[in-house]
Amino acid sequence: MKIVDKIKQLSLVVVLVCISSCQDWLEVEEPDHKLVSSEVFASDETAESAMRGIYNQLYQASYSAGWLGSVSVLGGLSSDNLALINTNALDLLQFQQHSLLPDNTYNESLWRSAYNIIYMTNSLLEGIQQANNLSPELATRLQGEATFIRAFTYFYLTNLYEEVPLVLTTDYETNALLEASTTTRIQEQIVNDLEMSISQLEGNAVVEERTQVNAYTAKALLARVHLYLENWELAEQYSSEVIAQSGTYSLLTDMNEVFLANSQEAIWQLSPKGAGTVTTNTNEGSVFIINPYFPSLSYVKLTEELVNAMGAEDKRKLNWVNYHEELEVYYAYKYKIQNSSAEVTEYSMVMRLAEQYLIRAEARARQNNLQGAVADIDHIKERAGVALLADSNSGISQQALLEEILIERRKELFTEWGHRWLDAKRTGKANEFFAAESPGWQETDLRYPIPAKELLSNPNLIQHPGY
Amino acid sequence: MKNFYTPVYGAGLFMLLCYLYSGQAFGQNTYLLNGTVTDTTGQAIPGVHVQRLGTQQGTTTNFEGQYSLAVQTSDSLAFTYLGLAPKRVAVSGRQELNVQLKPDQEALAAVVINAGYYSTTERERTGNIARVSGKDIELQPLVSPLQALQGRMAGVEITTNSATPGAAPTIRIRGQNSLRQEGNYPLYIIDGVPINSTPVESNSSLGFAGIDPLSTLNLSNIESIEVLKDADATAIYGSRGANGVILITTKKGKGQKGIQARIYSGLASVPNKLDLLSTKEYLRLRQQAFTNDDVEPDETNAYDLLLWDQNKETDWQEEFLGGTGAITDVNIAAQGGNDQTHFRLNGAFHQQGSIYPVDLQYQKFTGGFNLDHHAKDNKFQLNLALNYGVDENELLGDGINFGLKAFQLPPNAPELYLEDGSLNWEAWSEAGLTNPLEGIFNSSTTQARNLITNLNLSYELVDGLELKTNLGFTDYRSDELVKMPKRSYNPAGTPLHTSLTTKSQRKSWIIEPQLHYTKQWGKLNLQALVGGTFQENQYDTFSVQGNNYISEALIGNLGAAESLLNARARNTDYRYEAVFSRLGLNWDKKYYLNLTGRRDGSSRFAEGNRFANFGAIGAAWIFTEEAFFKDRLHWLSFGKLRGSYGTTGNDQIPDYGYLDAYEATMGPGGLYPTGLANPNYSWEVNKKAEAGVQLGFVKSRIDVGVSVYRNRSSNQLVGYPLPGITGFTSVQANLPATVENRGVEIEFSSENIRHEDFRWETSFNISFPKNELLRYPGLEESPYADRYRVGHPLNIGLLYAYQGIDEATGYYQVKDQNGDEVYDQEDRQVIFDRSRAYFGGLNNSFRYKGFSFQFLFQFVKQKGSFTGLFNTGFPQNQLDEVRDDSSPYTQVSQTPEASQAYARATESDLVIEDASFLRLKTLNLSYSLPTRWLESLSLSEVTFFMTGQNLLTITPYKGMDPAIPNGGTAFSGLRTLTTGVQLNF
Repeated sequence: MKIVDKIKQLSLVVVLVCISSCQDWLEVEEPDHKLVSSEVFASDETAESAMRGIYNQLYQASYSAGWLGSVSVLGGLSSDNLALINTNALDLLQFQQHSLLPDNTYNESLWRSAYNIIYMTNSLLEGIQQANNLSPELATRLQGEATFIRAFTYFYLTNLYEEVPLVLTTDYETNALLEASTTTRIQEQIVNDLEMSISQLEGNAVVEERTQVNAYTAKALLARVHLYLENWELAEQYSSEVIAQSGTYSLLTDMNEVFLANSQEAIWQLSPKGAGTVTTNTNEGSVFIINPYFPSLSYVKLTEELVNAMGAEDKRKLNWVNYHEELEVYYAYKYKIQNSSAEVTEYSMVMRLAEQYLIRAEARARQNNLQGAVADIDHIKERAGVALLADSNSGISQQALLEEILIERRKELFTEWGHRWLDAKRTGKANEFFAAESPGWQETDLRYPIPAKELLSNPNLIQHPGY
Repeated sequence: MKNFYTPVYGAGLFMLLCYLYSGQAFGQNTYLLNGTVTDTTGQAIPGVHVQRLGTQQGTTTNFEGQYSLAVQTSDSLAFTYLGLAPKRVAVSGRQELNVQLKPDQEALAAVVINAGYYSTTERERTGNIARVSGKDIELQPLVSPLQALQGRMAGVEITTNSATPGAAPTIRIRGQNSLRQEGNYPLYIIDGVPINSTPVESNSSLGFAGIDPLSTLNLSNIESIEVLKDADATAIYGSRGANGVILITTKKGKGQKGIQARIYSGLASVPNKLDLLSTKEYLRLRQQAFTNDDVEPDETNAYDLLLWDQNKETDWQEEFLGGTGAITDVNIAAQGGNDQTHFRLNGAFHQQGSIYPVDLQYQKFTGGFNLDHHAKDNKFQLNLALNYGVDENELLGDGINFGLKAFQLPPNAPELYLEDGSLNWEAWSEAGLTNPLEGIFNSSTTQARNLITNLNLSYELVDGLELKTNLGFTDYRSDELVKMPKRSYNPAGTPLHTSLTTKSQRKSWIIEPQLHYTKQWGKLNLQALVGGTFQENQYDTFSVQGNNYISEALIGNLGAAESLLNARARNTDYRYEAVFSRLGLNWDKKYYLNLTGRRDGSSRFAEGNRFANFGAIGAAWIFTEEAFFKDRLHWLSFGKLRGSYGTTGNDQIPDYGYLDAYEATMGPGGLYPTGLANPNYSWEVNKKAEAGVQLGFVKSRIDVGVSVYRNRSSNQLVGYPLPGITGFTSVQANLPATVENRGVEIEFSSENIRHEDFRWETSFNISFPKNELLRYPGLEESPYADRYRVGHPLNIGLLYAYQGIDEATGYYQVKDQNGDEVYDQEDRQVIFDRSRAYFGGLNNSFRYKGFSFQFLFQFVKQKGSFTGLFNTGFPQNQLDEVRDDSSPYTQVSQTPEASQAYARATESDLVIEDASFLRLKTLNLSYSLPTRWLESLSLSEVTFFMTGQNLLTITPYKGMDPAIPNGGTAFSGLRTLTTGVQLNF
């Protein structure tokens, strides 16, 4: 039968083909949801998306997303600005009581999320370096933005933990065994990165959306870094450059508009849309505002001490602080919307102009330019509707002025990125500020512990003393 | 049925068949011989191969056992049928030749076992293959077919994770091999087609366990389930065989023509209840806590004492878990055909209601078609199997854990619903609480459609050499819609109408051409097979959230949503190719040798690591065939020693793990790297060794089998732990860790009474598994440091040592092992072995005339934990036992310190208890009407039956269900009772 013969022949061919199994057949196409790294940086469009990705992920990353695990909340609890409403949240209580354990989950997420963002910036920087087809202008700008975010993240890592590993590549085999770098080395890297970032971003127009980093964002951070490094001149220089951009940045007289999306006061904001979730307004709004329907679900309140530091007429007390009758607690009301899925009207504030005045005031005071310092601090006071130093105490001593600046920083910047905690640390006043409230206080509590799991997987890391 | 693949296969085949039908011309001195082949009881045997010796001419008997064959006067004919002793008869010029075939010496030879690419018998197998026949499981009112295997097979551990129909059970064949939980799925093969055994993802309350990919199978349409366990049996599946292989064979058309119809229905309920505090006792202990803590009760911290009704007494268990779910099952099958072609059609409907206080239904429609054809000369054969199933599973759209709520809600808690059926928010808000049933109106409907088709073609090229091809196609689609209407949530929170849509599709095809060769040289019998596999699996999933629908009625219509959020689409492509071969030799049906091997390539690995070889050797010696034993040991009717050794692999890791790639962020317009890429990893390797003995006594009325095995998995593919400074916490890599599973399995079966009217059969199996992590370099620095210990099983808990109540504080106290006054991982040194010490089943069946009675006991020896309901003082209900001062639970306080002490106590050895159990897994009673009553009704069988599941459990365990012995509040095995009738026309 012919047909049978044919089947025989055909089948034999099939078997032979099978047996000489071809390697190529196992080469599967990349799935639609993944883009190989080299392809990401093969076009301007996708390279730009990789940068957008970092901005988006900043609003997913624990340390920067404004939620319970963020520097704003944890730093706030460590300082004397925030306290827990419900002390059953044990992992948070450890921050408030300065009794952090190395296995604290918030601390772990803080650390890991920061390094995850650093990985993204390193990956982008390496990708751009290896790319051939990107337009040079775009490549330079993206490098500037990514370098800034890396420096920004290291700023918080080193100020919260001091010596940390300095990861500047994506090579996990090397990175997994990195030792901690000295704080000097890290600060050097931050300064270098920011200077590099400034030069790479220079000349780029400030875009409408204040979520994108520009040269002035980098300068603003560099001003802060120099303030922390006590390079007063440089701190003054960079903050002056930012303040001088009065067409772009200005203090808003209506306190209730400061935290709106793309407010004139914003130097850098994160868009809550980055998280891509239903709650499209800020996490800060959800965390700090007492839940009107389920007050018991709220975690944090403002300390009475902070609220009392503000005079009755202080517009910040009137506009940025609220009182919950039922719980009898004060809470931060800088962000007005707790959550809603309507249009996004508020962005998460990372850096704003008011801080630059306070940086310059401090830098000037340190350089004995007391008059200049008073002028700067009075910008802030004037907006807050409180008595100006120039009027009330124009002959203030340098020491008193510096203390006044610290208090002003506390009143102005509460619940924003842990300023109070870091200020106390850098000025050596933490003992004075926090020891009394915290029975088990030790000097070593000034640094958060390296998460226990990090020590387990990296034998070259050493836990800080006291943990 | 939307996918008609049949016509495509069918049309081509039909034409092919037409050619093959053309008969052969008879020779000069031939004539047509007719006859019937029967068994010893006189029953006709269809499918017996009748061959003219010395030629290639032959035929097969038809349904009535009849054959006709062109023969010559001097011919001898060979009659062969698997499981029956072959017979040779000289024609001697007869016109009619009726033959009776006797069972092969023992019953063992009559049991044909599917070994995947080939068949063997219980007598001849060299490997370890357990088999359950469809008859034993078809009446069980279950959705997941594999659940029916509980207690029936040695070495096979099946845990149901949820009482919800459709939830994927966990199957472990001889223990956990891979450190990764998701690397332990066995290979599922339905009629020769591999099915992805990973549970399907779901947003519904099934989310945790996932959807069982076999739930769309019809339990009644299963002919047999074989489980391949050792290297000899699994090595032919190479890289996919490490965790064992489950072969499911669906029913084929055979035997009498006819129609079988069956219907049963019944009820399911929760079989157990925990003993909790009454309102009076609960309130007394709450008061006590305030006294002990020296705290003034107020409306915030003592709402249950000050705001709520002090006399209200609600049995929340009754409220939430007291319901009964109705079960209905209808099954119809028809079969028929002629000499050469058999077919079977099957359709079924299964419906199961919910035990929860919500009207939810699980419904399943299945259809099956099986076509079997062979050409007249028997050279060409084909089998087409087509199974299609649709199931619709209504579930809660929110993860409301009714179980937990039923136990934890204070007995005097306010009403959950208002009279109009809406949720009562006000009474709960007063206490600063949210209604515990928030989300109750969220519904989830998951519809799965599953097509599994398989076409088997074979052609005998020359005598003994057969070319076979197995073609398979599967298409699984699951559509899930979760609706979240406003009324599920507190109106004060201005909720929105929201939906979650998830669609997944798994498509696969497989081509497996094979050459089979069989040859007999004197006493040496050889069976050889060589084949290849090409397989591709595609997986697509898509999910999106729709927000702010205008009205509840529109929820789910994405066009009516104001905004779409979190859209997520992924697709993966997995390809696999292999060459496999087998060489089976036996000498005089006494000495058996089986060699199997496979070379596999998988797209889950990067280039350079894609191929690997696997192989096994198995041998058996039927020593009772030796003259020595035959002559002296008459009581020993059968004795076999067997052993096997070989390697299998495991490539159950995510696809594309080696690819350095970016993915889209949740936020708009962004891309980001989601993990670290390692192009260097490769297979996990599993080395299996086994030795066994099978003995038959008293003419094989008593059979005993003992197997000893040792499996070692090394080259473990794990998320290799990395410090977070690398950007991520792990990277996929091979770790030189070794996991060993060893154990002993004993199977026993006996025919205690074999009388014409009365039969009593018993079967029993018991397994003693032992799992051990042999080595794990760098375990202490790994993220598994808190989970595993070298020298211990994988399934352990590391606990604090409980030290009783601290006299000074009244709190639970655990030992601070290192004396650093901090309780952390270093103090958790008590190793709690959660694995089963032994488990098995005992099955008895009795038959007296038309009556049949069968019951299966399942037993497990294990330890479990009870980790809740004793934080007395907190506003939650507690075990009744806490009010007794002599119970170990005497801390009454709600200070933060007490809460910490309680949390530590739940992670101490205080919670360990004996969770062994003996369970009447199934009980079946049936009565068949005598055939003489039926003749006039043109019925061939009428059987009434009653089946019970989980009717009785004996256990010292305190929790709900010792089958889920962790925590104590979860349960799976519902008590069901069904009755029905079977009609055969």
